[in-house]
Amino acid sequence: MYTELNSILNTTPDSFTQGEFILVSDRQSDASFLMHHFLSFYLRARCKVCFLGLVQSFSHYNAVGQRLGVSLVQAKEKGQLIFFEGLKESLSVLISQESNTKSQAIDFLRDPSVGLRSLYEFVRCTVSSSSGGGEKGADGAEEWGPPVLLVDDLSVLLSLGVTVGTVLDFSHYCRATVCSQLQGNMVMLTRCDGEEEADDGDDEGSERLHRGLTHQCSLTLHVQGLPTGYCRDIHGQVEVCWRRRQGDGQHTQKKLFQYKVHDKGASFFARGTSSAVL
Amino acid sequence: MLQGTDVGGFLIIQDSATYSGRHLLNSFINAALNREESVHVLGFEISEEELKDGLKRSPIQRLHFHNAFIDPLGWTDHPIFTVHQFSLEELVRLVKQTSHPKPATLVIDSLSWILRHISPPAVCKTLQQLKKEGAVRAVIGLLHADMHQKGTVGSVCHLATSVITVAPGVKGDAAVAKITKRSKSGKVMQDEEIFSIKEDLTVIVQSKPNHTGPKQTDSEEQEIDPTANLTFNLRLSETERSAKDKLALPFVFSKEKKTALLHSGPGSGRILYEPDANDDYDQEDPDDDLDV
Amino acid sequence: MAAPLNSVGKLSAERSSFSSNATSFQKKTRSKLISILGTRPSVQNGQLLVSTGVTSLDYLLGGGLAVGTVLLIEEDRYDSYSHMILKYFLAEGVVCHHELFVAAAQHNPHDILKELPAPILDDVAVHKPVEQPRLSCDPTDSLDSMKIAWRYQNLPKVQSALASSSRFGHYYDVSKTMEPEILQAAKCHCFYLPDHPTQSSPTHSPMLESYSTLLKSLQEVIHREGFDVAAPMSKSRNILRIGLHSLGSALWSDDLSCHDNPRHRHALTTFLYGLRALLRSSLSVAVVTVPSHLIQDKALMGSITRLCDNAIALESFKGSERETNPLYKDYHGLLHVRQVPHLNCLASQLPDHKDLAFKLKRKQFSIERLHLPPDLSETVSRVSRGEPAGALQPVARVHPETNTWTSRTPTQSPWATSTWNAEALSSLPW
Repeated sequence: MYTELNSILNTTPDSFTQGEFILVSDRQSDASFLMHHFLSFYLRARCKVCFLGLVQSFSHYNAVGQRLGVSLVQAKEKGQLIFFEGLKESLSVLISQESNTKSQAIDFLRDPSVGLRSLYEFVRCTVSSSSGGGEKGADGAEEWGPPVLLVDDLSVLLSLGVTVGTVLDFSHYCRATVCSQLQGNMVMLTRCDGEEEADDGDDEGSERLHRGLTHQCSLTLHVQGLPTGYCRDIHGQVEVCWRRRQGDGQHTQKKLFQYKVHDKGASFFARGTSSAVL
Repeated sequence: MLQGTDVGGFLIIQDSATYSGRHLLNSFINAALNREESVHVLGFEISEEELKDGLKRSPIQRLHFHNAFIDPLGWTDHPIFTVHQFSLEELVRLVKQTSHPKPATLVIDSLSWILRHISPPAVCKTLQQLKKEGAVRAVIGLLHADMHQKGTVGSVCHLATSVITVAPGVKGDAAVAKITKRSKSGKVMQDEEIFSIKEDLTVIVQSKPNHTGPKQTDSEEQEIDPTANLTFNLRLSETERSAKDKLALPFVFSKEKKTALLHSGPGSGRILYEPDANDDYDQEDPDDDLDV
Repeated sequence: MAAPLNSVGKLSAERSSFSSNATSFQKKTRSKLISILGTRPSVQNGQLLVSTGVTSLDYLLGGGLAVGTVLLIEEDRYDSYSHMILKYFLAEGVVCHHELFVAAAQHNPHDILKELPAPILDDVAVHKPVEQPRLSCDPTDSLDSMKIAWRYQNLPKVQSALASSSRFGHYYDVSKTMEPEILQAAKCHCFYLPDHPTQSSPTHSPMLESYSTLLKSLQEVIHREGFDVAAPMSKSRNILRIGLHSLGSALWSDDLSCHDNPRHRHALTTFLYGLRALLRSSLSVAVVTVPSHLIQDKALMGSITRLCDNAIALESFKGSERETNPLYKDYHGLLHVRQVPHLNCLASQLPDHKDLAFKLKRKQFSIERLHLPPDLSETVSRVSRGEPAGALQPVARVHPETNTWTSRTPTQSPWATSTWNAEALSSLPW
């Protein structure tokens, strides 16, 4: 959890807007450090977190989580965190092609055309099992706040043969369930290939996915490399853009920050105010 | 303003990822509600709560929300409205569910969602039928132009009577709208305006098109005479021209020169030539190859 | 499948507790991992690293390749240098007694293994013949379970072997091939695609039959030989080095490089996803080469890169106009770092510099900074600049020895220590 980012977004683990869909994207840069932020943020906010980790193993997230002061293992044991480890689940599908009944969620790997419905079903079961309000502390288990869905990352689904439309349907359903019905939050990472103005015009591709998700979301965090090129002390810039009308009637609003990732966090600063420059 | 004028029309608000047209759409809904018309919203991309949250100050008794947001593909057991129900009969049924004396306005948020799942010709057909049918007073659709191929956007917009393309403005809250409007007589109006939307969803037009937009400046630039501000002179005044005309140029065969040549003076020299024996005279007729 | 997860978690928990406690004296707690030959923990995040066999490349990648990761090499046009790095990687595995898995569709993996460069074991070669020390086992407790040297058990054991084989990274002599005795001691698994007839079964999976056969046989080896993290820890552990040559080429029956809009555009990425899944749950490390210059779709190359951990690209001067450019006359090509891994840590180690060049010497493949130092004599260089069209900037070059990126002098800043060698300057073309 990066406190500087919290103040930029005007949130704290104690008070945050519910029902938000936050899109984290990057281009020729790596925005995954923001996913770690949101993971630790929502764990501290005592939300029920469902994490779809599609690109890294659990140990990776856990190791980083410890640097940020949260223990994923504990959260998992307490039932606060449901971690879906895509890499592990995929192995059984990719290596033994015969269908097993163990996990339906990763069905799309066997045949991308079946869509992501089963993955959505997994999400729905996970997030609605807790905060539906039905089983309140029956066995003295801890109560968790609104559900949160985190996905790292969506664009890897494209690499696995899923079409853009299917991914957009999936995110739409997640949004309808998590953000709208359950008043929870959602954070998704997507990564763009190539140059900004490439404009392939094709149906498929991460650009189109990014645009489609932008239409759905309420807040975007877009990470880019510096326009002036590679720099050791400033790792890139984040463009924060609020797309929904907030309570006080603000419109689309944009802010640009530069950032540097440290060993145990990240710092954000206005353009040109890096400590390396001043 | 465009707000109240479109009767029996089909309006498309085109937006892109950089600027959402949903605020403008809300303004239209608000305006229609304020005129005491009933509005049916077919919401694929927006939930009822969110929509009503955006229309806090409007009289929402006449707002009817058809929820296609929660389950547009029928993944759960009880879909309310799926994208495959997007047909004339179903839409008419929806609108007729609530009986109002006046025909209603149908708002579709958004067409992009439908176009992603239904082939563009089928969508166009339904929209055209809807326009013809007269069950609805007007149709307003939101379209994310950057999500589709140019041809798809073009053919859907071709059906519309008005198209508003919104784009982010230069500063602050302001946005740029390009309005194309076709009247029944076939007249086409094109306009470009900078607008902003206030909290009570009224649209404020900030400036008129004549001094905005890159297109305008382009044509202005072309009219500028490139020879206007030169450090040297390209034109001649009247006296300069006459002086120039007067000037006799060398090597021009004037009358004086001609006479001077024809009437050679008495003492002028003449060349006399007498053939010599040593002359290398060519015996051959130089013209013997000519058939004379 | 729950077991590997837990033990992975344990391992990494161990690692990160080590690193978060910050004092490097706690390395002892990780003795179980350290006991594997030819590995060392990363100074940055406590990950277990192995050498690529190219010392300067190790330094560039933050000390080496982390176990469980994939290094992607974008091949140079003629696949000469990328092939060389692959061989270095495998040779290092042989020297460190790691097991190997080699897969190729073009060359037979056995031939690749025969061509491995000979190690230069300078520190032991003085007294003993080279092959003897190499054949001895690691004298630690894991002796009996080491399979590598079983057929050489009657050969004399020499203690000094440890000195060389426990070292991290070696130098190799590319003019000689490795002695067959050394090679035979290593346990190799070969996968030569033509030997695995692919039966085209109707499947909806985006993966090609050739890739899924490869993935299956990889998984089999990992499982059979006990490289799973889940395998009982009592056994002594070893590292599996996986070398996959020229994935994505047409010989893997992939059409990535043949068409602008390939039919199997997700085949390679799906395979890499599966490969990552395999590696993350096992003690193995892979080097994959891909003929990226043949792949037309740059966006696709981006997603391929992202499914690997490290990615470097080699750009050879052979056949390009740069070959004749005096700026590059000391080098054989340029090296681009495309991606550095983000594994178990937030901040990845970024390279100091992005302009890098490599050269292949007989005894060393070295990667150096490409210098653009101040233009010293303006007029002189301007005059002599009318040469090849490719000539970029007039460049004086620092003496290479002072800033070669080797692990021996990893911390020195090239700018701080580089000496302006008059001799070097005077030998320049202008």
